[in-house]
Amino acid sequence: MKPGPFSRRLAALRRFASVLLRHPQSALGTALVFFFLILALFGARLAPYPNPNDQSHAPRVSPTLDIGALQVGEHPFGTDRLGRDVYSRVILGAGSIFRIAGLGTLISVLVGSAVGLYMGYRGGWFDELLGRVIDALLAIPALLLALVLVGIIRNLDFEIGSWQAELADNVVLLVIAVLYVPVVARVARSSALDIKTREFVEAAEIRGEPTYYIIFREILPSVIPALVVEASLRFSYAIFLVASLGFLGFGARPPSPDWGLMVNENRGGFYQLTPWALDFPALAIAILVIAVNLMSDGVRRAAQKGD
Amino acid sequence: MTRPLLDVENLTISYRIGKRWIPAVRDFHLQLAPGHIVGLVGESGSGKSTVALALMRYLSSNGRVESGGRLAFAGEDLLSKSAAEMRSIWARRIKLAPQNAGAALNPSMKIGAQVTEVLGAALGIGGAEAERAVLGMFHDVNLVDPEKVADRYPHELSGGMQQRVVIAMALITNPELLILDEPTTGLDVTTEAVILDLIRGLMAERDTGVIYITHNLGVVAQLCERVLVLYAGEIMEEAPVDQLYATPRHPYSLGLLNSVPRLGQSKADSRLHSISGNPPALTQLSAGCVFADRCEFVIDKCRSAKPPLEQLGDGRAARCFRWEAVAVYPHPKSNAPSVPRPTGDASHKEGGTLSTQDDAHSLDTLPFPPSGGRGRGMGGKCQASQTSARLMRVTDLKKHFPVAKSLEDWLRGRTPAPIRAVDGVNLTLGAGQTLGLVGESGSGKTTLSRVIIGLQERSGGQLELLGMDIRNSVRERSPDVLSKLQMVFQNPQNSLNPYLSVRQALRRPLVKLRGMTPAQAEAEVSELLRRVNLREDYADRFPDELSGGEKQRVVIARAFASDPDLIICDEPVSALDVSVQSAVLNLLARLQEEHGTAYLFISHDLAVVGYLSDVIAVMYLGQLFEIGAASDLFQPPYHPYTEALVSAIPVADPEHKAERMLLHDVLPSAQRLPSGCRFHTRCPRKIGALCEEEAPPWREVDAGHAIRCHIPLEELSALQGSFLRPEEIG
Repeated sequence: MKPGPFSRRLAALRRFASVLLRHPQSALGTALVFFFLILALFGARLAPYPNPNDQSHAPRVSPTLDIGALQVGEHPFGTDRLGRDVYSRVILGAGSIFRIAGLGTLISVLVGSAVGLYMGYRGGWFDELLGRVIDALLAIPALLLALVLVGIIRNLDFEIGSWQAELADNVVLLVIAVLYVPVVARVARSSALDIKTREFVEAAEIRGEPTYYIIFREILPSVIPALVVEASLRFSYAIFLVASLGFLGFGARPPSPDWGLMVNENRGGFYQLTPWALDFPALAIAILVIAVNLMSDGVRRAAQKGD
Repeated sequence: MTRPLLDVENLTISYRIGKRWIPAVRDFHLQLAPGHIVGLVGESGSGKSTVALALMRYLSSNGRVESGGRLAFAGEDLLSKSAAEMRSIWARRIKLAPQNAGAALNPSMKIGAQVTEVLGAALGIGGAEAERAVLGMFHDVNLVDPEKVADRYPHELSGGMQQRVVIAMALITNPELLILDEPTTGLDVTTEAVILDLIRGLMAERDTGVIYITHNLGVVAQLCERVLVLYAGEIMEEAPVDQLYATPRHPYSLGLLNSVPRLGQSKADSRLHSISGNPPALTQLSAGCVFADRCEFVIDKCRSAKPPLEQLGDGRAARCFRWEAVAVYPHPKSNAPSVPRPTGDASHKEGGTLSTQDDAHSLDTLPFPPSGGRGRGMGGKCQASQTSARLMRVTDLKKHFPVAKSLEDWLRGRTPAPIRAVDGVNLTLGAGQTLGLVGESGSGKTTLSRVIIGLQERSGGQLELLGMDIRNSVRERSPDVLSKLQMVFQNPQNSLNPYLSVRQALRRPLVKLRGMTPAQAEAEVSELLRRVNLREDYADRFPDELSGGEKQRVVIARAFASDPDLIICDEPVSALDVSVQSAVLNLLARLQEEHGTAYLFISHDLAVVGYLSDVIAVMYLGQLFEIGAASDLFQPPYHPYTEALVSAIPVADPEHKAERMLLHDVLPSAQRLPSGCRFHTRCPRKIGALCEEEAPPWREVDAGHAIRCHIPLEELSALQGSFLRPEEIG
């Protein structure tokens, strides 16, 4: 019996993974991303002190981590000036950055590819109009647009517990989605322009297939590799953007264990007192950003080879 | 024979796949003397381009020539040359003209500068001297107005002109050896004829040795002296060209020669011979003959032992144990040229159970009996009085593409003339018939088909199917109309969605257009596959697991799924190999008989069109210039344009050395159409100012055959009478 569609997809996935993991850099990047993902998912159970704002410890304890002697100690990354365990806070901080960057990217990819595919397939005035809007949006620096949007929404007063307040709390996530929709849409549009000239799309038109069928059933599968590449690239930028906004004070609000915020809170004069409270979250940001970049590099290579 | 220019012995070429070296070409040999032309014939994957690259030692890094062979060029051993020495040989002495001339030229450099650069690099000639040499060379390759051509960029030249520039570029250093890799594939027959003439003339003049690589047996017959037939990387047969065509000694050569439809051969006469199966994968070659699996002469020995390339005398050789049996087998040259024309005693090579009787073939159901007096003016009305079995009627159909206004147009307040791709076409098509549409690229035949199918909206005219007025675009048409009109595309590679299985591709039209339940559709998928001669288990395959011919079968099955009345076939076999082509043509002919489906068949290959068609229409610059029954159209009198098309066909018979009527100029732009008769700018039979001023009238030759020309029919007949001998028409 010939392999069915399911096992065929499985084989394609296996091929993809093998190309991704063949290069040492992308294998390392992927491993690190998965490591952080585990921290993000099970942080509450992995952290020695699951409450990030537990101030019961002695303040300003130096890191007890001693790699040479293979000792972890009570506070591997030390405690900050308020007596919070830095190690636990770094672990707990992984969750928010993944949630915001990941969900933001996901929304932008879903919306962006739908919009882009429709633009590319439909063409005409719709494409023309939206194309200009996208061009305009792309001309604005991402960080600047994010700061403006966050600034406006943060300054609105909402009833506590209302849906508007809920929305304002997730403002960074939404900003990421809004920022990247045009970028993803442009990629999807150009791919759709290429695919729609293929004869199998014309065959579907001759059958009288509705637009949604042609877009999602005929065109989308061929565009997915390009979208996967774009998604991984967007994710790496989103991580960086979340950390940047946190550091600038526009992201999470104190006392949440956001990495960017932790760097911000412990700079200046405090750095002399507890340098470790800044160093470790900064290191976490750096490692994650580099890891995601290495991974997306590998994803691009694997997606190109896979086809 | 003088000192050989090229002496190749026992050459094996391998490619690295993963960690293994796979021998792609095995035991190749070739002798070529200066001033001679040898043809290398083979289908895709036969290794002919690999040979070309290896002869130049220009293989990519994953390819190598195995030790043990000999590759001598003008007495020097090429295999031991250093890279620097090879570069100097490439610069002057061995030249390659690649297949795709457009891609071989630098798009950002003017033509003249590119060719001058070659001269500078190879011979150190520059300045005015080089320029003179380049212009002289352009003149030699028949480029009209060399100075102007030199000052243009590649995209400003037509395909034929680009090809001539590439040949000029290769010849300008006066090389000893010229390798031409499919130089005319993708060009129109009219252009091809001009290029072939050019090559023939230049070779005679310059004493250059030429290796001509092609899959087109007609071109080889017209151009080459010796032929090597390549299959799966091995020479199958080697022979002087006239002997190969007269008495093939290898089953593969025989199969190839038999599978090409000859001009005048019709589906009513006989099925085409075809070679079943697919070429073997190079990674899994058996111990026996590489052709054994597809061979009709196969015996047990063929599967266990590899036949040697046996010398048969007269400079012939064949790699077959049974060449003597092949020698007595009938083939076109031995039992032809006259093919029995009456439809009654047709012989079938495929299956043998098929009936050929097709009532629609008789001339009185022809869709187009033109009525003499009404054929004047641009629209050229040709009334069809037929109503009985009429399937489709196209009346004064137009498709004009608007041209965007330039800044100057805005300022001057004028609208640029549209591109008139289809400009007033009248056609009628009877049920179950095939209407062949021929013409050069740019004649508007594809646009016409796309307007009929509804992928493009028409600018004017009516389209009627089964008495219903058909709406403009597919989006406005009812499912009922959609199911009656289907299409088979040119490129099977792109016709199937790579992410959908054959089952999914076939099930959709069944459910969508015939309203079947999933269970019914499931059963019907198997039935459809059976009808196109594919096994049922193909349903679970994906397009990348099918060969080109198999893909096209699935596409045909998909077109038949909705049980249509008319299928538009746009060059359905031009992307397929010769051996597969005939099987697909046979399939189309058989399905037409079984279902009574009509075809609108578009092709640039007149023999293919002639084989499948009942009626043929000749199109030029958006209008029809001749229409008639397929059996009449290729005989005089014909329209001068048809005459040029017919005479340009490279006939797969070396003894056919008819005088050609060449069309030198380029097709005029459809935006600035010539006045009067649109063909007058290129017409070799132009009679004077009348042609430039007045649109020609339709002249009726006999029922259903009409020509649109100013020259009276009797005069045309007299002019063309001697042109093709009747026995060659068949």
